[in-house]
Amino acid sequence: MNVALAILWKDLLSEWRSRDRVVAMLIFSILMAVVFYFALPDRRPEELRILTPGLLWTAYLFAALLGLNRSFALELENDALAGLALAPGNRGWIFLGKATANWVLISIVQILTAAVFAVFYRVDLIPVLPGLVSIIGLGTVGICAAGTLLAAMAVRTGFREVLLPILLLPALFPILAGAVKGSLAAVAGEAVPFESLQLLIVVDGIYLIVAFLGFDYVLDE
Amino acid sequence: MKRISSNSPNAEFEVPSQLEARASRWRRPLGIALGVLSAVYAWAVLAAPIDSTQGVIQKILYVHPPLAYGAYLGFVITGSAGILFLGRGREDLDRLAIASAEVGVIFCTLMLVTGPIWARGTWGVWWSWDARLTVTLLLWFVYLAYLLLRSFGGRNPRTARFAAIYGVLGLVLIPLNYYVIEIFGSRSMHPENLKQGSLGEGMGLPFLLGNLTLAMAFFYLLVLRWEIETQRTVDEQESAMAEPVAVGQ
Repeated sequence: MNVALAILWKDLLSEWRSRDRVVAMLIFSILMAVVFYFALPDRRPEELRILTPGLLWTAYLFAALLGLNRSFALELENDALAGLALAPGNRGWIFLGKATANWVLISIVQILTAAVFAVFYRVDLIPVLPGLVSIIGLGTVGICAAGTLLAAMAVRTGFREVLLPILLLPALFPILAGAVKGSLAAVAGEAVPFESLQLLIVVDGIYLIVAFLGFDYVLDE
Repeated sequence: MKRISSNSPNAEFEVPSQLEARASRWRRPLGIALGVLSAVYAWAVLAAPIDSTQGVIQKILYVHPPLAYGAYLGFVITGSAGILFLGRGREDLDRLAIASAEVGVIFCTLMLVTGPIWARGTWGVWWSWDARLTVTLLLWFVYLAYLLLRSFGGRNPRTARFAAIYGVLGLVLIPLNYYVIEIFGSRSMHPENLKQGSLGEGMGLPFLLGNLTLAMAFFYLLVLRWEIETQRTVDEQESAMAEPVAVGQ
């Protein structure tokens, strides 16, 4: 447990000092918002409003891929990954530390991105914030659980940046399905459907367990 | 053999292992059975009555579901062999996992090709986001990614471990995707299950033969591919042992 906290602190501190991942992810997400505007020309504001949750999650997924790739690319410098692997205790805790750091960083980007989308697509997100935030938080747990595990693998093959999206996206479809449905309801001002929350919690739980147990084999040398 | 993993508990394992040698013995009988069955199957499909509403295209029935069973079987074997490889460090099961994933992907690809042809003929559209279609497509992506991971990672114990974990994730995704579709999905255009008598008269036998023949084809290809993988490992070991001699010359 202490290992997890130490790694969480280390990752957050190094990000605070460089701020490169959050900034890169954020700029990328804002670019996506602009890309979507040009990809969906001549839409009335109401139409765009309905599309916003789906577009938002698309931006989230790709921005997360960007950040997750960096998360372990950093550890390759000076062979830091080998040092991590030598840390005493269950390596699942290393996973948990890395995943939590990713979750914090990606969540910060997501909140800022949502604000940008709200402005660009004229959606008032303030009244629906509690529902939306709970969906985003839960969805991101699953993204970070599967993403941290797979990024640790992808980074040590010859084709890191290429491999992560191919490995990760198929695993994220259940999360995307639940999160978009939930966000659609939330943005429309309705109660978040129980099925969405249930699905996200189940997927989060399964991915956390698989990744916690599997991480031991990933760092094994 | 050059090993990245130095503390591998199975360094002394024989290649081919007992299990592999036993599987190998089945290749020839399976091949012969496949040859004979294919002929009978082809005849049965030709002789089967033409469906009164769908026409000739309905004969895809004799290929499509059997391909699906093969694909799912391949993925289940890949995942389970991966778990056993991780747990017990048995490299022969890792080689089985590779073979099974490749054969499964072939079956899945053929299923995804025959499906739309049938769909176009009977439903009028090439594709529909029907429950089973969607789940199968996602699964196909997972196992394509599995094979890419294998090929990008190279042949080494580390890639084998990564692939095994990914295979387990794939196994977890099967029920998960069904759950997603159940909650949010569209109405299925596929029949729920084949009940007795749901096939027209004269269609039962060719369908049964289709299942048998393709199951035979699955296991034949599986054993064949497994043997190739084993042979590769043997070759690697031999060339690794021969290396110092070559340098000394």
